[in-house]
Amino acid sequence: MRDSTHPMTVRNDPRTATLPQQYADLEIENNAQRLPLVLCLDTSHSMLGGPIASLNEALSEWTRELHDDVSLSYSVEVAVLTFGDAGVSAWQGPNLLSPDTRVSPFVPAHRFEPPLLRAAGVTLMAEALELAMQIVAARKTELRQLGLQYYRPQICLVTDGLPTDRTGHPTEAWRRVVPVITAEQRDKRFRLYAIGVGGITDRGEEVLRAFAPAFNARLQGFPFRELLQMMSASANAEQKGAGDEVFEKIFSQFKTQRPAWES
Amino acid sequence: MTGTTGSTGTAGTAGHRILLDGRSVLLSDRPLKSGGEAAVYTVVGDDGVVVKVYRDTPGPQQERRLERMLTMTPLGGRPTDRAQPSELAWPTAQARGADGGFLGYAMQRFGEPDHVRLVGLFTRAQRMRLFPGRVDWRFLLGVGWNLAFMTARMHHEGLVVGDFSSNNVVVDANGFVTFLDCDSIAFTDPATGEYFPCLMQTADYCAPERQKGGPATEAGDDFALAVLVYQLLSVGNHPFGGVPHDSDSQSTVKDNIAASCSYVVQPERVVVPRGVLDPGVLPPELLLLARAAFGPGVADPAARPSAEAWLRALDLERSRVRVCPARPHHTYGSHLQACPWCGRLERTGQDDFNAAPAAAPVAAAAPARAAVPAPAAAAARPHRLRTALLTLVGLVVLLVLLGQLLSHG
Repeated sequence: MRDSTHPMTVRNDPRTATLPQQYADLEIENNAQRLPLVLCLDTSHSMLGGPIASLNEALSEWTRELHDDVSLSYSVEVAVLTFGDAGVSAWQGPNLLSPDTRVSPFVPAHRFEPPLLRAAGVTLMAEALELAMQIVAARKTELRQLGLQYYRPQICLVTDGLPTDRTGHPTEAWRRVVPVITAEQRDKRFRLYAIGVGGITDRGEEVLRAFAPAFNARLQGFPFRELLQMMSASANAEQKGAGDEVFEKIFSQFKTQRPAWES
Repeated sequence: MTGTTGSTGTAGTAGHRILLDGRSVLLSDRPLKSGGEAAVYTVVGDDGVVVKVYRDTPGPQQERRLERMLTMTPLGGRPTDRAQPSELAWPTAQARGADGGFLGYAMQRFGEPDHVRLVGLFTRAQRMRLFPGRVDWRFLLGVGWNLAFMTARMHHEGLVVGDFSSNNVVVDANGFVTFLDCDSIAFTDPATGEYFPCLMQTADYCAPERQKGGPATEAGDDFALAVLVYQLLSVGNHPFGGVPHDSDSQSTVKDNIAASCSYVVQPERVVVPRGVLDPGVLPPELLLLARAAFGPGVADPAARPSAEAWLRALDLERSRVRVCPARPHHTYGSHLQACPWCGRLERTGQDDFNAAPAAAPVAAAAPARAAVPAPAAAAARPHRLRTALLTLVGLVVLLVLLGQLLSHG
């Protein structure tokens, strides 16, 4: 599926030296059906300043809510991918994973702690999505081997820009991902949400629409908190076994940012 | 991690004014809980009440349902001690907008930390966090008893839970349960004969006939009850967990229910996750009921044990529970010769009912004696009192139910 051999960036981050194994298989008594959730976040240069600060803040707040939610923290597993700097990075909770690791980035929700993200560099959006699909497929295989069931995973792509190549120039290479990602969604391998924030352009929106025909949005400002709450609401609906119309309803409420009494 | 908490959100909406049975109240700015169907708000200045506001304008059917529900007082008149919360978060008032339009309803608030959704009992981490020092197997057995009791009494009064799951029942520190989403209950109005169906369901607790679109029935509740009681008695394990050997790539609890594939009945059909408890932790009478519910009872609603059958078997076991002499909070069924929780601790290094000894290395699984504090004696006393009281209440109700059965049969 992948055509770039080194999708993840190596950083001189001391935290990568001691890879935490504490997440693997800890909950031996919990046979709950799992719900893998991938946050695929744009951390390119354009997110510098207020946007990245507000993203970090929203992640912290969402983490607290996730811990407090007995139902979500029972079965959700969170992985964070970022695309910025010089490539794509996978995080296991707060720890940056080394690109050649076989360690899964998924962390049980009740143990999840968010990474502290910095903004810089280019926008390898397509590569990030490919990695998202890859880690979801790998996690499914792992879970099945453990005898654990899973709900349909959720991938949430968030960006304020256009896909670029490694030199930071806009590229049309993202189009190669579209057939794959369309087929995967048709086969219900996951639900993909693609959200444009900040000053995303018409072309940027076109990319998101191509990736996620069912759940794409172009939002004013940087409403990361609402966005993450929408992911939680969708996860709740998934746990309940809700029909597609419920997910569409949750998403359209998020898109319009409409309180309940203004129906 | 961050010093300031965000003031994002639907800016400017400092709460919304609505009418509860004509009385003007102010709702909280942000909902407590928000889903696809409805959002739940607190009422400013009244901590005891929450208001459920439907997302889509509710139709005349829903409005009529609420109107009729407000004339009923189900599960009333039972002898309870003051410490016991109601078993149903029944609607207490209609919620309407300033224009008089129907919005939803008010009910008593059953929120954390006093009331925790059942799912909070299903993992060790959550038990430790939400019920510190309270939970042992006897407690779980008691919660199962309370659930079966609630279900039997609802059925006795012609109410069908319909959407019965670990998410819409809350449990308090004494093990008492409350069913939350009463507006989805199926019932026939005793006064007018109108029937109100249950339109909600939760896949992981949904019997096959309901998955296929059938109506909510008592037998459907009995299926969900069986799953919940099994989960309680096996510290959270879902009886339809596990991946079938012959399955395609997407295997779910829902699929296993539809295929009548439970490891409790046919362990050879699935890959059972490491750490899943042997069903033998259930005492024989209860295991028999579980095997009936997850075997022949999956496809055949008539073969499912009723809530009363569960109640009787649970009641029998409550008086027999054994107490482990070695470790606190280790209690187990009278059929077992050795403490299953000590056995698990030795095998896995994890104590299902006690906090881990501080700073113990992961590998050091050797059970250190007295590594955990003994339970406070004071906490145990009301538990015993309550047990006695509940048993008494249970016997009275059983007699009433049996009497009814006899007089009708």
